[in-house]
Amino acid sequence: MRHTALGVRLLVLITFAAFFIVPVVWLVLAPTKSDGALVSHSPLSFGSFHQVWLAWKHLDAFSDHIYRRWILNSLFYALTATAITVAVGVPAGYGLALGNFPGRKVILTLTLVAMIMPGAALVLPIFLELDALHLIGSVFSVILPFSFFPFGVYLAYIYYATALPKDLLDASRVDGCSEWQTFQRIALPLAKPVVALVFFFSFVADWNNFFLPLTVLADSKQYPIQVGLSDLLSSTPSFNPAQGGGGQTVNIFRPELALATLLAVVPVAIVFLLSQRSLVRGMLGGAVKQ
Amino acid sequence: MARVAFERVTKIYGDGIRAVDELDLEVADGEFMVLVGPSGCGKTTALRMVAGLEEITDGIVRIGDKVVNELTPKSRDIAMVFQSYALYPHLSVYDNIAFALKIKRTPKTEIERRVDGAARILDLEALLKRKPRALSGGQRQRVAMGRAIVREPAAFLMDEPLSNLDAKLRVQMRADIKKLQSDLGVTTIYVTHDQVEAMTMGHRVAVMRKGKLQQVAAPQEMYDNPANVFVGGFIGSPAMNMLEARIERRDGNLVAALGDAAVPLDDETLDRRPALVGYEGRDIVLGIRPEDLEDASLANGDGRPRLTGRVEIREALGSEMLVHFEVAARQAMTDEVRELAEDVGDDRMLEQYVSGTQPAVATLVGRFGPRSRVVEGETVEVSIDRRALHFFDSGTGLSIA
Amino acid sequence: MAARVRGLRVPRGLPFVLPYLPFLIAFGIAPTIYALDLAFTNVGGGWVGFHNFVRTYHDYRFVPAFKHILLYTTVWLAALVVLVVGLVLLLHGRVGRTASTFRFLYYIPGALAGAASVLVWLFMLDPVVSPGSFILHHVFGATLFAQAIAPARLPYVFAMIAFWTGAGGWIVVMYGALNTIPPDLEEAARIDGAGPFTIAFRLKLPLIRKWIAYMVILSFATGTQLFVEPQLVNQASLGLVPDTWSPNQLAYQLAFRYADFNAAAAIAADLLLIGLVAAAVIVTWTGLFRTDD
Repeated sequence: MRHTALGVRLLVLITFAAFFIVPVVWLVLAPTKSDGALVSHSPLSFGSFHQVWLAWKHLDAFSDHIYRRWILNSLFYALTATAITVAVGVPAGYGLALGNFPGRKVILTLTLVAMIMPGAALVLPIFLELDALHLIGSVFSVILPFSFFPFGVYLAYIYYATALPKDLLDASRVDGCSEWQTFQRIALPLAKPVVALVFFFSFVADWNNFFLPLTVLADSKQYPIQVGLSDLLSSTPSFNPAQGGGGQTVNIFRPELALATLLAVVPVAIVFLLSQRSLVRGMLGGAVKQ
Repeated sequence: MARVAFERVTKIYGDGIRAVDELDLEVADGEFMVLVGPSGCGKTTALRMVAGLEEITDGIVRIGDKVVNELTPKSRDIAMVFQSYALYPHLSVYDNIAFALKIKRTPKTEIERRVDGAARILDLEALLKRKPRALSGGQRQRVAMGRAIVREPAAFLMDEPLSNLDAKLRVQMRADIKKLQSDLGVTTIYVTHDQVEAMTMGHRVAVMRKGKLQQVAAPQEMYDNPANVFVGGFIGSPAMNMLEARIERRDGNLVAALGDAAVPLDDETLDRRPALVGYEGRDIVLGIRPEDLEDASLANGDGRPRLTGRVEIREALGSEMLVHFEVAARQAMTDEVRELAEDVGDDRMLEQYVSGTQPAVATLVGRFGPRSRVVEGETVEVSIDRRALHFFDSGTGLSIA
Repeated sequence: MAARVRGLRVPRGLPFVLPYLPFLIAFGIAPTIYALDLAFTNVGGGWVGFHNFVRTYHDYRFVPAFKHILLYTTVWLAALVVLVVGLVLLLHGRVGRTASTFRFLYYIPGALAGAASVLVWLFMLDPVVSPGSFILHHVFGATLFAQAIAPARLPYVFAMIAFWTGAGGWIVVMYGALNTIPPDLEEAARIDGAGPFTIAFRLKLPLIRKWIAYMVILSFATGTQLFVEPQLVNQASLGLVPDTWSPNQLAYQLAFRYADFNAAAAIAADLLLIGLVAAAVIVTWTGLFRTDD
């Protein structure tokens, strides 16, 4: 009886694993096949590396190497914004957790609310705001809003509130540290786990953000990769038969699109894998502490 | 090195609670002063006000002759040992100890000299490279002490540094700290809730209750002459027995009447406590320490007053026997007695206090000699050392002198 | 207690928070106020009360958009609650080290959030290339991509995509929450004769109620703001699926196609309200605040 129960359980788990993984596997294998092969051969078969190279050539050729620009844009936006987020958010979390000043609770509540409230509803007002400041079209229209990451501040807040005993700060004050020295010599060195966490979440959120860049960027050369993918999509003849005319051969077929998608995911996947350990521990730690 | 003085120091929290109430206390240069009392009595708050970690609502704190109220902790030249040790987890033992010196930009050779010196005294030389998480509780405690020593401060402030250690280690460390302080001669203020620590370590002991200083005196003096019911009941273990008694005149002599028994008040007692005469006809609180009660059969013919009681429990400790016995007398029921009962978790007495009814019998604890042959459930005759009786006013709780 | 700097009292901690404040104001508070302002005024800036809200409500696309979103959110939340909780309970049995392998596998799609995940599923839903074409043919009767994304199917398709990317993260969180249950409790239950089902449903499930509530509320707020998925499907289907399928899309079109920012703001305000209510519920009822002293 126990064995059938175990068997059923395993079956269900494996079925779902297939659900989650097979599309990813398909995505990895798709660029190795030609468009025709995608249709006729088995979906999970391996084609050739040569095909991947071809697909890349087509992809790269699209619109004057714009794909490379998109990737670089995404890296630029995500890294810059994340740098600002960490530099601003970690001290803010520290100040909110261990400080004592009027308005502390208000700021904390506002941060919590902003964190839980999905940002999509604010994209249009932010657009208008940035427009009034004549920032539309500059990279700052993306980087600055990205840098506001209340979840990062919250993570730092939780971390410092639970992992840094107040005694430690008292000790450093008695030992002669000014407030800044206390932060720099005690709080900051101990913040490595939360810096990694904030970096990860901020980077992924910035990398995956679609709505904001779509709204504030007009020039497709400034697009991050997510918005670029949608551009690419509308250029794929199999999805858009109207394309491919006008004297210019656009060789964006399904393998190219798949490759584009796959490459768009690689940076995040790398960050994912690198932070897997500290991530799960930190997320559980932060989550569990509540 | 310097003296530390509290001059009418008061701390009032936002909700109106007076954590420390007009504390007047002077700690002499080089003295080991212990602040002791139940939790919430204000001892830690008082300590933190000296450290500069709590704001002083009213009054003045002096270190040396300087008023330090407005100074930040780092300008006060004090070092503190925390209950949780508060070691910096990311620094090695060496760096932990050297930390304050580094902040002050002490030259490297001087730092080395001081840290090595402290490590030698505290037996930490082999551990200098380790991080706190690789240390045992006792080792961490010593590192915390080391951090304080290297500062060569005007005063040491210690906040229950031994309460996180197991019993055996605590006994060992008590002696170590006492010797260390004696060797270094640094003015020390030591906070604890453990009256054994207070008695064994301090040059003087200051008992606090609800923010107010109850008494400050050398340990033996405090034991022999407690200033009020609270100090009497707090210092000494097992605690002093507190009974309701009435001063009456029988056959022309003053006696303290408890239930059936009457303890005569001899001339020696009345000489030492002349005010007792004025209490004729009134109820007072009579305090008797367990060590001043003895099995009468072991104290034949000593001429001392006798009490008769019924044995409830006997605990043979080898060196002595603790006997709990009931007598026909009433337990004293004052605020202080209740607070003491709360502090040790004596639920039965608390119930009595709450219900307002006192049974006509009280349970006393006596420290009998190990050869005592009392039997549970049977009567016992108990001898009272008359010279060691303590008398307190029922209303004010103060010692009657 | 304040730290004193040469007699000047600096509230402790404030300097560390100051650099963050401009961002909080500029991208949190100000846009919210601005959105509300726009929603209640007209092009000239004059106050019009609820006129914009009424106007947008009567737009022929408004109600369908909200219907879509409601259906989508409901299906998604149901899938989350049933499947995430179910999977977590299955995982947290005695499967041991394999549990972390499964968790990792479930988590991988999370890396493909946003446009990438939609693109992957555009392929998955195309019976011509998909590895799941068998299922598409025989279970859903779809032989063409256009059939797979038929309007009636869309809420379910989007819910599935959202589940695919989001479930892994929640599974990790729930698993962590289950780990906080002291093993003694489980042992005591087992000694008392509880079988695995009983332990799962009567012991573990009630103890992660709080997390399930978080998940539902957060997902509800996020779900109502759907944009990326319908937008991409609109492009991939050559307009078969309208570009105003979701309220956010409608707001976007109103803003950029019709330059009617007031109407767009009214819809944004509607969505904001939903998000705010959800946030308020979480912050006050479930005590996220309790970590604050």
